[in-house]
Amino acid sequence: MISVVEIGLFVFVVTTALATVLLRDVLAAVVVFAAYSLGMAIFYAFLLAPDVAMTEAAIGAGVTTLLMLLTLARTVHKNKGRFWQRPNVPGLVVMGALLVVLLATVGEFPEVGAASQEALAWWNPAVTQHYIENAYDQTGVTNAVTAVLAGYRGFDTFGEATVVFAAGIAILIVLNREVFTGE
Amino acid sequence: MSSADQSAYVESAVIMTTVRIVSPFSLTYGLFLLFHGADSPGGSFQGGAIIGATILMIAFAFGIDATRDWLQNRIVVALSAGGVVMFAIVGLVPLAFGGSFLEHSFFHDEWGIKTKWGLEAIEVAGVGPIVAGIVVGLFFLIAAGSKPTDSGAGAVDDDD
Repeated sequence: MISVVEIGLFVFVVTTALATVLLRDVLAAVVVFAAYSLGMAIFYAFLLAPDVAMTEAAIGAGVTTLLMLLTLARTVHKNKGRFWQRPNVPGLVVMGALLVVLLATVGEFPEVGAASQEALAWWNPAVTQHYIENAYDQTGVTNAVTAVLAGYRGFDTFGEATVVFAAGIAILIVLNREVFTGE
Repeated sequence: MSSADQSAYVESAVIMTTVRIVSPFSLTYGLFLLFHGADSPGGSFQGGAIIGATILMIAFAFGIDATRDWLQNRIVVALSAGGVVMFAIVGLVPLAFGGSFLEHSFFHDEWGIKTKWGLEAIEVAGVGPIVAGIVVGLFFLIAAGSKPTDSGAGAVDDDD
């Protein structure tokens, strides 16, 4: 059921994630983080989520890495000689607790397609089934994801698009001040 | 702007050749996702991001200042603002003629325009340009800060 490729990918993603946290050199951490994003993108493709995989590959591995590299190029780069970063103990405790909570919920997920009371509340067949059955007739597009995003939940998408635009413009204005009118 | 005295740009034959070969394909792929998102995986967000990333790639290989000269900030911001306006127009037209906001089926019922085109308009003219514009705009501005700020003096009247 779980293939060798998937296990290899899992090991790769976990290793790069840990390396991102533990590497002392910021430049190295950024590069390893890009590798992590690429691994996650392939992982999403394995989990049959091509839309998310494309976004992760373009934004996570590509654009974000480039923006962080450019930011690094602007800062003073100094290496104190140590290769590994000593983990921050309070931070480690908080993240460990969060990890325990998240992993505890994984076991509680109902099986996909199960018909128990909790499972039905989880995957909400009334809404899901409505989209699956009517998306093509009502909207005429064959990608149900597009039908939901642009059609049934167009208002949400409008809000999201406006948020992306507003946040982007706000950052452009703030950065413009910093860059062009002195620090 | 393109004075190479203190610029961080280093010409590299390997990167330039690679980008010259890869960018037509990635641009085509981005456009395909954008225009074909209604019928296959992908869509406007992914397409817009990949088109934006293609421009980043070109800028990385051929110099950020040179790229910025032909793709000015004004165009980039206009692209994203135009996306929001187009999205709003598609939503507001049904409202203006007695339907509800973003009621795509209204186009079909009133004027016989397929519902599909309403969704396509949002994807192609709305979300895609917004994402591409913001990605490129952020990149240009952060890149502008990565070189000594004195050469940025000429750009002050340009934006403020």
